[in-house]
Order: sequence, then structure tokens, then C-alpha cells
Amino acid sequence: MTVDQMSTVADRLRSTARTGPTRTAEGPRSSMTARRHRAFYMFVSPWIVGFLLLTIVPMAYALWLSFTTFDGISPNWHYVGLGNYRELMNDSVTWDSLGRAGLFAVVSVPLSIIAGLGLAVLVNRPVKARGLFRTLLYLPAVVPPVGAGIAFKNLFDQNAGATNGVLTFLGFDAVGWLADPYARYVLVMTVLWGAGNIMIISLAGLQDVPRELHEAARIDGAGSWRTFRSITVPLLSPVLLFQTVTGVIASVQTVMPMLLAPLSTTGGITTVPQSNYTYMIHVFAQYFALGRYGYASALLWVLFVLILIATGLIFRFTSGVVFYNVDPEAKK
Amino acid sequence: MTATSLPPKSPVHVRIRVNRIVLYTVLVVVTGLFLGPFGWLVLTGLKSPGELASAPVHWVPADFQWHNFADAFDLIDFLGYARNSLIIAFVYGGLVTLSSAWVGYGFARLSAPGKKVLFGILIGSMMLPQMITLLPTYLIFAKLGMVDTYWPWVLWGLSSAPYLVFLFRQFFAGLPRELEEAAIVDGCGYGQIFWRIFLPQSWPVLSASFVIAFTWTWGDYIAPQLLLSTDKSTLAVAVMSTYVSSAGTPITNLQAAASVMYVVPILLIFLIAQRGFVAGMSTSGLK
Repeated sequence: MTVDQMSTVADRLRSTARTGPTRTAEGPRSSMTARRHRAFYMFVSPWIVGFLLLTIVPMAYALWLSFTTFDGISPNWHYVGLGNYRELMNDSVTWDSLGRAGLFAVVSVPLSIIAGLGLAVLVNRPVKARGLFRTLLYLPAVVPPVGAGIAFKNLFDQNAGATNGVLTFLGFDAVGWLADPYARYVLVMTVLWGAGNIMIISLAGLQDVPRELHEAARIDGAGSWRTFRSITVPLLSPVLLFQTVTGVIASVQTVMPMLLAPLSTTGGITTVPQSNYTYMIHVFAQYFALGRYGYASALLWVLFVLILIATGLIFRFTSGVVFYNVDPEAKK
Repeated sequence: MTATSLPPKSPVHVRIRVNRIVLYTVLVVVTGLFLGPFGWLVLTGLKSPGELASAPVHWVPADFQWHNFADAFDLIDFLGYARNSLIIAFVYGGLVTLSSAWVGYGFARLSAPGKKVLFGILIGSMMLPQMITLLPTYLIFAKLGMVDTYWPWVLWGLSSAPYLVFLFRQFFAGLPRELEEAAIVDGCGYGQIFWRIFLPQSWPVLSASFVIAFTWTWGDYIAPQLLLSTDKSTLAVAVMSTYVSSAGTPITNLQAAASVMYVVPILLIFLIAQRGFVAGMSTSGLK
């Protein structure tokens, strides 16, 4: 919006506030309140409209499609009720890919959090050039997925990759990293490369831990591991919980490293190694390789519900463990 | 440290020294491991095809093939794809920054019945799996004839991003009350207050938001791959899929060189805008 448009919006708002139904009985104060209310909805409306049109409508559309045989081409697609859902329940590919996605989340999320937290503790120490180390460790998290994927593809290349170079130098056999069954390890390592993200967020949390707590613990004779476990981790737990939830959601949606890892020319769905054929890859295959929009929409909705359940369960099981630091000053 | 009062060769002193050495060694090794993949990408981009094909690894190219970078530039319409990426990133980054600031102002400084619920939905929607909504959105865009245009990015930009809205809300909520009070007494509209008083105060957040949104769009592969045809597509898609010989085999060294040229601008932007970027990241910790 330009300045002019913006001020006309403001002018219009002002004029309606003046000439509009002024509730004289309640005095000018409540008309001010009414003006604030209208202004609030004027400000948040782009998000509301966008959320309805670009999130709710597509999700509803997908729900409708999931009850049909729509494929985008054939004109006589029809309603099949729960047929797609019945089919996916009976398809072993669905279950296998779901298992792989779950395994990927269960392995990669805790590892990333441990790595990120470890890095944060490391660069929170008073060392020289701390800022430089932080920047360098965070840098990989800024590398776009395509760059990261191509970097790891070259790093783990069977002939020209550095990893096999080190292995053969040490007297081991070269490994076909980008094929089954090793591709899954490359996948996890690609994700771990971005642990700088969690490092930065944990670092902000670490710096919020009051100094006095650490000093009190040291006076009581607690070692550094004990202090970390009993003071740092509990105080960081809300941040860690948030990272776990967003990490699980992100890992289930991950498709880029799976598509990129294969040796083949351009990557793509059909060349994903079996061990990296996760649920989301299955959805992509059904969507784009086969054009089965109806069936793929059912798969998407099942995943959506599963994510909701998983998120709920994570919150449920951590409710007793996560420690929320309540600032007594903030409460009146 | 109390260590200064101890005699220089005391066991405590030695232990602290050893600890320091171990700490620095770990730091340097870990940092090396984290930079390794990128370093290897650069090295791969400087090798000849022969060096990449033969089995014992050539750690360092015999001759640095600097011309690979020029070749990668010429083999495909690199500049054209980069321009497409820039257009999308600027359009989306600019629009989403303004719209998110606008919405963030509403959540920070105004109130109305239903605000709490709406804010809850906003925060919850940050956790919505975007890949799940993207696929049906793609079908809808296809129906509306918006495939192969940049309209989807305009719409996404106008509708603000929950994460950036939250960023702006946190910033605006921290500004003093007096800022708009005088203006309200003067009968100034909220739109004007936002535009004349709040926006000029928020350059740090505006630039952080723009950099974050720019980086998202520059790095995004799936949306342009789905929505755009090859010649309208972005550098991410081109780097990924166009470095293929006529025989259908990948041209590894040129692809690596192109990836370096694709990634380095983002790294530079990050290094320049680092402070705001990291502040934005930390806010997302949502304590």
C-alpha cells in the first residue's frame, strides 16, 4: 500500500468514527472504544482473510477431495465416501512410509536438540573469538535446502566424496552412502548440519538463566554436569519443548533432503531410495507422479490428524516435566 | 577467578590450562566439521570432470578449474533464474513485511472482543504443517489460472506470516504508551499512527523481517517447483535440475559451482544483517 492509500483508509476510518452512529447516550468514551475495536479488526483483517483463503479453504478442499476419485484429468470422477481412507489403511506402503517418517522424527529431533544444546553450551563458555565461533556454527543453518542437499550429495558421493575418502584412507571399504540402506544416515546428518538454529535459540535461553542460580549451586558443591542437569535444562525446558514440537512437525514434512540425496540426474520422487521413502514422499508420489489427488488428499488429512495427536501427546507427557519460570514481578 | 592467587605451577592451575586446551580443540574440530560440507562443495566446484569420476578421491584439484564458475554461469540462463528469484523474494519479502507489521500493530496496540482467541489461532497456525496446505493450495491456484505467474507470492505476501506478525507484535508491544496517546487526542486515525509514528520507529524489525522473508523465498524449492514452468522458475529449481549433460548425466562440478554461487549471496546477507536475524530467531523460541 502507498502512503496515499494508507492515509485515505485512515481518513475514512476517522470520518466514520465521527459521522457514524455516535452513541451520544454513552458518551464519547465508548465511541472511542468502538473505534478501537473497529481499528483492531481493520489491522488484523489481512491475516484473517489470508488464513481463511490460503489455509482453511485449501484444507477444506482437500477434505472434500479425499472423499472422491479426482485426478485432475478424467471428467467422470465421483464421490467414494471413505473409500480412499479404507484403501490407505490397507496399503502396506502407507504404513511402511509412516513408520519411516516416525523413525526419522524420533531419531533426528532429539539428536538435533542435543547437538544444538551442546553447541550452545560450548559457545556460551568464555572463550576467545566466541562471536566468530557462533557465527561459523550457525552459518550452515542459513544455507538453503537445495545448497545443503547438493553439498551432502557431493560429500557422500561413492567415488568422489570426502567421507569415503576418509574411510578408504583408514583402510575401510567405500560405502554407497546415497543408496539403501545408508541413505537414511545421510538424511539425518543433513538435518543435523542445521543444528545452529537450535543453538541460537538455546543460547538466548542460556543467557536468561540467572547467574545467582549457578553461583548458589557451585557454593553448594554441585559439579558442572549436575548444575547443567538440575538448573540449566529445567530452565530451558519450555524452549526445548517448543523445539521438540516444531521439530517433529518439520521433520514429518521434510521432503527436500530425500529428493536430493539420490545419485540420479535430477533427483525426483521416483528415484528416492527405499529407506528415505517417508510418508510425505509417498504423498508427493501419489500427488505428482500418479496425479491421484483424491487419494493423496486423504493421506494428507490422515497426516494432519496424526500431527495434531502427536503434538497433543507431547504437551501432555511433558506437562509435569516442563518448568515455566514465573516472574513474580510480572504478577500483580 | 581465584586461580590468580595460586602459585603458577599448582595442580589447579594446570587443570584449568588443560581444560582450556580441550575446550578450544573441541570448538575448532566441531567448527571444522560444520564448515566441511560447504568447503567440500567449493572444492568440488573447482575440480575437473575426470577428477570427480575416478575412484580414489582427489582431495584438492590438481589445477583449480576457476572457469567452472564461468561455465556454470553460461551453461544455463543463470542471470535469468537469479532475476526470477530476486523478483519473487523482493515481492514476497516487501509485502509480507508490511502486512505483518500492519497485523502485528493490531495485536500489539489495539483490542477488541475475540482478540485472545484470534491470537491463539495465530500462534497455533505457526505450527500448521505448511506442506500439507501447500498441495491443495496448488490445486486451487491451478484452477484460478495462477500457475506460472507470480500472483501466489503476492497473495502470500499480502496475507502476512504468523511468525513475522509475532515478531512485530513483540516489538510494538514494548514501545511506550505515550507514543500514540497525543496522536489519538489530536484525532489522528490508527492507520496514520501506524504509518507515521510506529513504522518509522521500527527499522530494525522491518529489516530483520525482510531479510528473513527474503531468505525463505530464495531458499524455497517446493513452491516454485510446483507453481512455475522451467523458464519462469527460480535459481533454486535451476541449480537443482538443469545441470545435466545431453546424455542425461549430472554435470557435478558445474552444479557444485552453481550451488556455491546460489548460496553465497544468502550467506553474505546473513553476515551483514546478522544481529537482527539472530534477534528474530531467538524471539521465535517462544518462552
